[in-house]
Amino acid sequence: MTVFWRGLRPLTFAGAALGVMLSPLSALAYQEAPALAERVAAGDLPPVEERLPESPEVVTPFESVGTYGGKIRRVLGGSNDHNSILRFIGNQGLTRWKPDFSEVIPNVAESWEVNEEGSEFTFHLRAGMKWSDGEPFTADDILFFVNDLLHNEEFYPNPPARFVVNGEAMTAEKVDDYTVILKFAAPYGTFLTELATPLAQEPVLWAKHYCEQFHPTYNADVQSMVDETEAVEDWPALFRLKCGEVEAPNRWANAERPTLDPWVVVEGGEYNAGATQVVMERNPYFWQVDTDGNQLPYIDAVEQNVAQDNETLVLEAIAGNIDMQRRRISGLANKPVFAENAEKAGINILDMVNSNSNTMAIHFNHTHKDPVMREMIRNKLVREALSLAIDREEIIDIVYQGQGIPWQIGPRPDHGLYNEQLGTQFTDYDPDRANELLDEAGYAERDGDGYRLLPDGRRFTFNVQYTGIEQPDWGDSLEIISEQWEEIGVELNISSVERSIYYSRGEANEHDFMVWGAPGGLDPTLSPRDVLAVHPQASWFAIPWTRWYLSGGADGEEPSESMKKRLELYDAFKKEADQDKALDIFREIHQMAADEMEIIGISLAPNLVGVVKKDLGNVPPSIPASWMYPDPAPTLPATYYWKK
Amino acid sequence: MLLRYILKRIFWMIPFLFAVSIVAFLLIQAPPGDYLTTYIAKLGESNEVLDQASIENLRERFGLDKPLYVQYFRWVGNLLQGDFGMSFEWRQPVSDLIWGRMALTVTLSFATLLFTWAVAFPIGVYSAVRKYSIGDYVATTLGFIGLATPNFLLALILMYIGVVHFGADVGGLFSNEYKNAPWSWAKVWDLIQHLWLPVIVLGTSATASLIRIMRANLLDELHRPYVDTARAKGLSEFWLIMKYPVRVALNPFISTIGWVLPNLVSGAVVTAIVLSLPTAGPLMLQALLAQDMYLAGAFVLLLSSLTVVGMLISDILLVLLDPRVKYD
Repeated sequence: MTVFWRGLRPLTFAGAALGVMLSPLSALAYQEAPALAERVAAGDLPPVEERLPESPEVVTPFESVGTYGGKIRRVLGGSNDHNSILRFIGNQGLTRWKPDFSEVIPNVAESWEVNEEGSEFTFHLRAGMKWSDGEPFTADDILFFVNDLLHNEEFYPNPPARFVVNGEAMTAEKVDDYTVILKFAAPYGTFLTELATPLAQEPVLWAKHYCEQFHPTYNADVQSMVDETEAVEDWPALFRLKCGEVEAPNRWANAERPTLDPWVVVEGGEYNAGATQVVMERNPYFWQVDTDGNQLPYIDAVEQNVAQDNETLVLEAIAGNIDMQRRRISGLANKPVFAENAEKAGINILDMVNSNSNTMAIHFNHTHKDPVMREMIRNKLVREALSLAIDREEIIDIVYQGQGIPWQIGPRPDHGLYNEQLGTQFTDYDPDRANELLDEAGYAERDGDGYRLLPDGRRFTFNVQYTGIEQPDWGDSLEIISEQWEEIGVELNISSVERSIYYSRGEANEHDFMVWGAPGGLDPTLSPRDVLAVHPQASWFAIPWTRWYLSGGADGEEPSESMKKRLELYDAFKKEADQDKALDIFREIHQMAADEMEIIGISLAPNLVGVVKKDLGNVPPSIPASWMYPDPAPTLPATYYWKK
Repeated sequence: MLLRYILKRIFWMIPFLFAVSIVAFLLIQAPPGDYLTTYIAKLGESNEVLDQASIENLRERFGLDKPLYVQYFRWVGNLLQGDFGMSFEWRQPVSDLIWGRMALTVTLSFATLLFTWAVAFPIGVYSAVRKYSIGDYVATTLGFIGLATPNFLLALILMYIGVVHFGADVGGLFSNEYKNAPWSWAKVWDLIQHLWLPVIVLGTSATASLIRIMRANLLDELHRPYVDTARAKGLSEFWLIMKYPVRVALNPFISTIGWVLPNLVSGAVVTAIVLSLPTAGPLMLQALLAQDMYLAGAFVLLLSSLTVVGMLISDILLVLLDPRVKYD
């Protein structure tokens, strides 16, 4: 849909990709885990046929049908690693990504229709589907979110942007118990892909029958609960404490909260600051089955220890105490350590396909406050020269252990939207040509030390800061670039600063250029901030343009013609319901960005690593690594199993 | 007399803690930006993006859009009612978070203190009495190594040896099966089995310095005339040393109690992080890094209160043990 990933698919997901069969397995009887069967026999649980929806989602496992039992051990890094849980347990949105990240497929919703113009989405839910406490999941749960939370100003003073179009928040209409229409004020072509991203679970995150007790519309006496609960000042705070938020630890801190996840937090294993182990056990009402009619998940429990230090995580991995993980240990530097201990620890190394485009991108400030600097930066000859004067091979060899290839920005070569010019233009090392270009651009005069001069007599200098604690490699690269630019008479002064100072200088538009990682390698339409001035904390090449765009022209500064055209195209893209046309629009955006070359980069981001136990089945050997994806959830950990 | 002294000290704690609350608040606010900028940056590192509307919502929810003094009085007002507020980062009440970690922190600190005393006291006495003997040189060498080795490095080395050579499970205070189990004798035994590593790691440098202090203090006393007098009167050598010079030299041991209490919270943060100890230190560090205002503020206040109380306790003990120390 938004992402084509043709190149990699034959290599990694050849033929065996997890698929979805929409026809119910009516002829098959369903089977369940032995532990659940015992509970059914003891009368604690209804039989499996009653726990599953009428037509559960039938999942074709990656390798083969598995067997029940065992647990998966993972390690959470430091405090506040809640997104590690989210990424594994899964973001159970209405839609989800296909395992190859190429398009969205039904998830909580069984199917959907979109109206002609792309502004109304009719979702069909699974009849008989249940929350983890056995209560039915129906259209009312979605209506609860839309009517009682999204449109409630106390809960959301500003509704989340992904549910707002043309300044109006999404509305919902219930057709029957299992059909609901979500409506927008204008076409919203990207809504279905948006729903597959991790932060868009809200429509199906909150169980009405449980959460309504914390809502004043349904519980007139909610204020007394607020008063009783420590540290809670109003009902939205209480609601969030008990019912959780998409992206916060409190989501995993209440064992009572009903969910749609394959595993649910057990009492005593909740995630809070004192937790040393977060334990989750199978959801007896989980709504997916395999092709033989076995209820998923295969694995009984997920056990997640908490370790404070990333080095400890690496130790745990080579001691064989981690069954499947890449989070916090995915740096390439760990690869030899894993390889060396693979035999002893019984692990394979996972190839995590980097969804980023570039390890380090240079955002020249096109809206520089100093008019002389601005004119210089906006001169494309200058940017071409600065790019040609960087010997990327040398940087990759010295700083990145030879991992990577010279690269600018944009979709990776194996991606459907790959634009060769955007990715590879001016990446050759050619200082002579660079010198010619700078002379041609009007900066031929030099001072006694050999540095070029700006028209007002100042030295041709960039002063640059980077976040040295988080990204020491950027400092190393800049150090090398500084030497390389000296050859073309350009001075580069670098200094390491604390992260929030870095941010505040960037937001105040006080930088000559910023260095930053470039996303958009596999998710160019979801993270377009390097080709479009849309992100107020990351489109560093033109923060005032971003403000202009986000405020509808009220704040900031009017962008260049090219950027204005691109932003118009982006608006059209968001509305376009026809995915092929939408992608063509993005191709046009990429081409215009390539012609402008506002940002240059160093190296194509190399793949990351993870570990997986050799006898853990149904784990693809190669998985996209991306927050938008969010790995490994779309590969369906519920289908992982221990080979006997 | 003693009671009046204690009451006076406690009374003075009130204005002191008030001043501390202001300083604590300003210190937490001192770095540029606020919790949200840190949060956005943290999300940004893993390419996790938050939209502008959600950021505005959070800023409003946490009151970060209000002027500083309003935020301060809101915090102190709640504190006076015993409400420490809600942690921004964990979105859970601060008091739950802190107390959740306190029990193990206390256990670990006192175990370390006992270890330190148990090792430092005899060795210190021995190396003073047998000055320049082989035993003294060995103790001195080990002591200096203990002082010079950073705790966390020692932790890393011991952990590496544990994993690679013994296949031990490292990190944490419990084995997996006991992590969430209710308390039982088996769990206590499991705790003891895990406790020795952090106790040794945390205790070495304190032990080393106490040995040196004990030795130096005792050496000062050993050649005093009263020692010679006692020896001339025929007191056995062991009782002689224990009864008089050691008692005088003991004062530094008592003073350390004053530091033990605040160390509960802030002690050995790096070591605790390396060893994955679920103690208060790493949580406090994280709160400060994330500018999680209420959580960090509660820790700083707790730290200050414990310092004051710890000093009071050690002053009282000193008075009781050493008649030369006077009130006032």
